[in-house]
Amino acid sequence: MKILLSWLKDYIDIKETPERIADALNMAGLEVEAIIQPGKHLKNVVVGKIISRDPHPDADKLSLCRVDVNRGEPLQIVCGASNMKAGDKVPVAMLGAKLPSGFEISKAKIRGVESSGMMCSKKELGISEEHGGLYILPEATPLGEDIVKALGMDEVIFEISITPNRGDALSHLGIARELSAIFNLPLHREPLGDDDGNGKVSDEIKVEIANETLCQRYGARVVKGVNVGPSPDWLKDRLEKVGIRSINNVVDVTNYIMMDIGHPMHAFDLNLISGKKIIVRPAHSDEKLKTLDDQVRTLDSSMLVIADAEHPIALAGVMGGAESSVSDKTTDILLEAASFQPVSIRKTAKRLAMMSESSYRFERGTNIDNIPIALNEAARLLKEIACGNPVKGIFDAYPKQEILKQIRVRTRRVNKLIGINLTPAQIETYLLRLKLEARREGEDLIVSVPPYRHDIELEADLIEEVARMYGYNNIPETLPAITSVLKLPTPLQKLENRVKQHMVSLGFNQIISYSFIPSNIDEAFREKKPLLLKNPLSEDQSAMRTSLKWGMYDALRRNILNDEFNLKFFEMGRVFHPATGEMSEEHSRICLGFSGSFNNFDWRRSAEPFDLFTVKGIIQNIGELFGFRFKFAQGVCSVLHPAMQMEVSCEKTVVGQFGQLHPNFLDNRKMPKNIFIAELDLGLLAKKTVAINRMVPIPELPAIRRDLALMVPATANHRDISKIIADEAKTLLEGHYLFDIYQGKGIAEGCRSMAYSLTFRDPQKTLTDEQIQPIIDKIVNRLDKDLGVKLR
Amino acid sequence: MSESHSNLLQQYSSERESAQNTAELEALRVKYLGKKGEITEQLKGLGKLPPDERKAVGAEINRIKNEISESLEKAMREMALKEQETKLQAERPDHSLPGLFNRPGTLHPVDQVAREIADIFLAMGFFMAEGPEIEDEYYNFEALNVPSHHPAREMQDTFFLESGQVLRTQTSPVQIRTMETLQPPLKMIGLGKVFRRDSDITHSPMFHQMEGLVVGENISMSDLKGTLIMFVENMFGKRAYRFRPSYFPFTEPSAEMDIQCIFCEGKGCKVCKSTGWMEVLGCGMVNPRVFEAVKYDTEKYTGFAFGMGIERMAMLRYGINDIRLLFNSDIRFLRQF
Repeated sequence: MKILLSWLKDYIDIKETPERIADALNMAGLEVEAIIQPGKHLKNVVVGKIISRDPHPDADKLSLCRVDVNRGEPLQIVCGASNMKAGDKVPVAMLGAKLPSGFEISKAKIRGVESSGMMCSKKELGISEEHGGLYILPEATPLGEDIVKALGMDEVIFEISITPNRGDALSHLGIARELSAIFNLPLHREPLGDDDGNGKVSDEIKVEIANETLCQRYGARVVKGVNVGPSPDWLKDRLEKVGIRSINNVVDVTNYIMMDIGHPMHAFDLNLISGKKIIVRPAHSDEKLKTLDDQVRTLDSSMLVIADAEHPIALAGVMGGAESSVSDKTTDILLEAASFQPVSIRKTAKRLAMMSESSYRFERGTNIDNIPIALNEAARLLKEIACGNPVKGIFDAYPKQEILKQIRVRTRRVNKLIGINLTPAQIETYLLRLKLEARREGEDLIVSVPPYRHDIELEADLIEEVARMYGYNNIPETLPAITSVLKLPTPLQKLENRVKQHMVSLGFNQIISYSFIPSNIDEAFREKKPLLLKNPLSEDQSAMRTSLKWGMYDALRRNILNDEFNLKFFEMGRVFHPATGEMSEEHSRICLGFSGSFNNFDWRRSAEPFDLFTVKGIIQNIGELFGFRFKFAQGVCSVLHPAMQMEVSCEKTVVGQFGQLHPNFLDNRKMPKNIFIAELDLGLLAKKTVAINRMVPIPELPAIRRDLALMVPATANHRDISKIIADEAKTLLEGHYLFDIYQGKGIAEGCRSMAYSLTFRDPQKTLTDEQIQPIIDKIVNRLDKDLGVKLR
Repeated sequence: MSESHSNLLQQYSSERESAQNTAELEALRVKYLGKKGEITEQLKGLGKLPPDERKAVGAEINRIKNEISESLEKAMREMALKEQETKLQAERPDHSLPGLFNRPGTLHPVDQVAREIADIFLAMGFFMAEGPEIEDEYYNFEALNVPSHHPAREMQDTFFLESGQVLRTQTSPVQIRTMETLQPPLKMIGLGKVFRRDSDITHSPMFHQMEGLVVGENISMSDLKGTLIMFVENMFGKRAYRFRPSYFPFTEPSAEMDIQCIFCEGKGCKVCKSTGWMEVLGCGMVNPRVFEAVKYDTEKYTGFAFGMGIERMAMLRYGINDIRLLFNSDIRFLRQF
């Protein structure tokens, strides 16, 4: 909202600098976003009159002008523009002037002719971007006057952002009221219009309120014989400076009053109101109204309308109707000032998507007491600027007088909540500055809240007013003298933090992708039916992710398109699944993405491209680190290569899967085949109990190691071999591992040579080869019998 | 000492000094002290001397023997060290070759800043609470004193799901959920993703917030100030700050906290729009209506709450000029933090 300093001065004699005023408003909670001073950087530019214009003796495109600036001898100025003639008034930058662009005027010789100043365009004055030659000023502009003053550029405009609770501050009066409280200055005002006039308003119009909850008061005033036409300059100027387009004197007056005292008004053409009657009522369903913007609106019974005897003529508090609007032919005016229920106005404005300055103010609450003031002031202005003849009186439909709110403020509570020590008298003084009148009752104050302070409903609201006046920055600084209940991190929080650190140590970069996915995402990426947004920003962000794989896939793909092929990403975040009933489920997950090679290849090491087993190793590594006993089985995730994926489970619960990206998703030639994605549910893992290991004594006796080189047919696998080794060796086997796989020369087609190392130990006595050999024999026999695996 | 003995010693000394390595020193040992060494020979020759000279000469030879022996041992030790050093030095590789380095990963800048903020509050005795990202309107709005059709809802343009639930627009519902399950005194922070229908270079439809809540008996606005100043000083260093009145439906009185611009130190720059101040967080005393919603005794308990955007902090800290970079997962960006 734009507020003019000169307009504020109608109300308050404020002498502070614009900066000081802005600071004070900021510190009172009315945020000044900018101070606009159009003439601030314009010094020593005056109104001049061209006496003569002659061609430059030495240059075709230049003119030689003599310009009177009302300061003795006329100036000789060389000028490149061509739109001026002798007799024109123009802005003249005198020697020493500085223009907004930073350009400084000094005496110069242009093509051999002396030039003592510069005539300016609008652009050079910083008023407009257009560079259409010199700015030719109106004939009446006073000669020699400072241009800042002549063009009204000495105005100070505050751009203020008002929080939604402060509807009372949405006008010059409202801001002046705040300044009066802050600087402790009296608030005054020229006497406003009265309700005097000819005739009787009730002969012209009758008002009936059909729904007293939606419209608490409706005031109507009539002004006859109005000359509809352009507004006077002062009115146009003020409106334009606050950003409202001037339309005609009648509409401008209603807008002016809205910006002045904050009450939205409307003007009807009295002669287009049928039956001399105004009815404020809910619309009938499917009733139609053509609004001022020429749109035909279909109404429903939740919307409040202003109707005449026949049909709606305005959408209450939102916008007037086109047919009853003021036009050039209008002579008699019906002025409306009313009070509508904020929620109803908001619903209507939202439903029809037609927010207006008027609905904006009604939603935030207006001052019901301002209704007669607004009407009388409008009548006075119309008389003054449009030769109107006000009819005496206001038709004031006000069925239920509003009762002022009374709120008790306890001194003890004020001091307790703010942490200061005020007396009841001090509190009273602060409140009074804000026109909040209070009655003392012992240590308590009973405050009458003026009808425009809709934000004050509770004691705490008044305590805020006291705090604002006391000054937030004067409140002392202490630390809370409490010890909080103890709530330790949850197992999930702990797991998330540790896994994050672990992934970073392993060289993974954390990504955060949007929680949204396209609703038309490839079926394969839909782990569940995604939850859809009712009002998405775009199709790409129209549903909630059901797994982290889409975001990871997208991240890998986009980086690869940037020629970044070695990627190790992880993301931690929630996915969203529909659940029973209306509710949704959230699951905390980690997703890993792999492309390129695991290690850095450098002057000594060669690249080790990701494959299923490096990825499996990283998952095993996570299991080992956090004590989860992971089991792996064939996976079925449709995003992944059907044969190159595994499902991970922990204590019989499936906790995730990993594998190579399905070739169907290698959608551009840059993407290498070996892209892997893994996803684990951390929420499920955090529920798993991690056993605490009991110490096992460090062995004192030596171990025996035996290696077995096996010829393994295609039908047998590592898991089965491993199981037989463990089964047959029983307790003497301390451990075994696979240390080599070989295929090729010397090995039968389809077979593999697999070499295992077995470690035997007996904690009680030293083992001998003789004790071990029978075990080895049993293993070898079982391997042959069950799996067809033979010793090489 | 006899002249021959003194010549012997002199001869030894010069030979030892010219010895280049342990092998030459060993040869010297053999030459003088070996079974057929010169000293040994001389001791053997003692018997040929007259008995009255034998004792004195014998003592002298033994003294010389000891002297040579000690001197050789010492020289041997020193020489061995020197030889080892030479040998080890010869193993020196090209030290300027790069290490066999595995580049560590990076935590996302938002995560790093969030942790830093959380750590400050955790150290001040707060605990970390969490809540769902898809919320009921009740928790996101009504319980926080934002009724439907209230203009305050415009402050946060909301995403709705088909089910009627909302994507939480703030982490404040975590406060409500915490207070529903715990009784005061409590000091909590909540951290997480929030969503608003807004997208440009400073607004993202998804971002992160940190929320804080302190409730107890006699918690005042001065406690709010003290706590947040302590936070700001630990986060940004000691600098000027101010509290401006503001409006949030769930707090009353409400404030916004500004700190002296960290880029221009208050002189005025582009980042602070020439004001010299930067807004860092919103805060206020918990509105009694919020306490009523969670059935806390509004007479007994008072409290304060605060909230801040993590992305904004991260953007300020790292000089990031477009919020969308944070969620584009570009490795060339992520690797920098």
